[in-house]
Amino acid sequence: MFLKSKPMWGKKTKLKTSYDMVIIGGGLHSLATAYFLAKEHGITDIAIIEKNYIGFGGAGRNTAIVRANQRTQYNVPLYKEALDLWPVLTKDLDYNLMFNNCGNLNLMHSEAAMKAARMTIATAQFHGVESHLIDAKEAKELVPALNISEDITFPIHGAMFHPPGGVVRHDAVVWGLARGAAKKGVEIHQQTEALDIGTQNGRVASVTTNRGKINTKQVLISAGGYSAALIYDMMGIKLPISVLTIQAMVTQPLKPVLDHVVSSGAYHCYANQTLKGEIATGAHMDPWPNYTTLNTAHYIKHQAEALSEFLPCLRGVRFMRIWGGLADMTPDMAPIMDGNEQVEGFFMDCGWGYFGFKSCSAVGKYMAQFMATDQCPDMLKPFALNRYQEHRLMGETAALVNYSPDN
Amino acid sequence: MALTITCPICGKRNGYEFKFGGEEKGPRPDEKDLTPEAWCEYVHMNKCVAGVQEEWWFHKDGCGSWFKIHRDTTTNLEKEVKDENRVQKAKSGGQK
Repeated sequence: MFLKSKPMWGKKTKLKTSYDMVIIGGGLHSLATAYFLAKEHGITDIAIIEKNYIGFGGAGRNTAIVRANQRTQYNVPLYKEALDLWPVLTKDLDYNLMFNNCGNLNLMHSEAAMKAARMTIATAQFHGVESHLIDAKEAKELVPALNISEDITFPIHGAMFHPPGGVVRHDAVVWGLARGAAKKGVEIHQQTEALDIGTQNGRVASVTTNRGKINTKQVLISAGGYSAALIYDMMGIKLPISVLTIQAMVTQPLKPVLDHVVSSGAYHCYANQTLKGEIATGAHMDPWPNYTTLNTAHYIKHQAEALSEFLPCLRGVRFMRIWGGLADMTPDMAPIMDGNEQVEGFFMDCGWGYFGFKSCSAVGKYMAQFMATDQCPDMLKPFALNRYQEHRLMGETAALVNYSPDN
Repeated sequence: MALTITCPICGKRNGYEFKFGGEEKGPRPDEKDLTPEAWCEYVHMNKCVAGVQEEWWFHKDGCGSWFKIHRDTTTNLEKEVKDENRVQKAKSGGQK
């Protein structure tokens, strides 16, 4: 696939010995950052280097859900902007990203959960994000397939309804951004592995790859689940990250039954119906750090049990495919974006766990601004690495079941 | 993915019986002259090694002991490292 075919985003170029900026990792955050660097800051002498192929990692393994119903005042505006950018990018990239804002329905199974949802909704509404609390009957009206009987393990009390969320075709975002960036002059080098980052007088000077050394003054590591290992390996910086495998699966295609993204914390399960008719579902993580993307019968069984309780029409439906990806989890379920702090010219964008997809558009825009101006934009300031040292952990965990092995 | 862990007391068991207890980071830092940096390093920071690492496990659905193993994070396989006092350490709550 790498030898003869011509990439759809343009001609293959030779790796030069020097670039203004080097971005390690060929995922969505890297592609978006490069795209916005070229589009909004006129910086085009950029090499994206990717060990495998673009979209190999989380970019092609996530379940394509987008939403802005996070818990804290720092996260919500970022995700809101990301959500607002999908139609804009569809137009600017001239690429159909298949944004389907079908709405997210986050099921609540207890009075305590309803109370937590009220707080999350208040935050959302304060930041201009549409989000409502609805009762079980209203949830049933929105999604008739829901089982709202009392006779299940976790009866449904109500739901947090977030109409602007939905689904975006993740591969289309990879291809659209790659083409958009390449058209403006950004070079994408697949099958190119970063081996080391060289520094000189306390600043970044070069990146060594398996295809030779590149001189550069600025480097960004945004390599998804592999970031933490790379950053420790190349820069000696330890991060508060645990890399876990997250699994997802799809059923055989069905006639339309589900026109919302439905998720449940208590059942540890979310589901939506793809345009092909499959029910895409997931949520589970094996709670020990590892770099495999293997699957477990344990979770196939769990998923089947959960779905057949709250969406009983799916009983007997077969799973067709299952896959795994890596999620780099932080203790506060919020990402780490930092730059020029540990070493001048070194930037990182990691710790995205399983929310890297829904944030990529806005993060690309702000990381580009950060790298182009050397000034951290206000939007990204709360996400600096030193928050852990200063005990300013974010409260994102309040809204979520805890997946972290640190707890 | 299959994961088996060898508990010093109970032997080789299914990984789901255990709780991961973090990377081995050495002894808890002394509270005297403790800096925020050192505390943060001990509490939060990980090496996230892609390869063999030494780590803590807790046999939550078993004997309840805390112990350390070496595991390759790229294959999920344990690596045997000889430690004659393994059982003794597990019985005394994982202390050195």
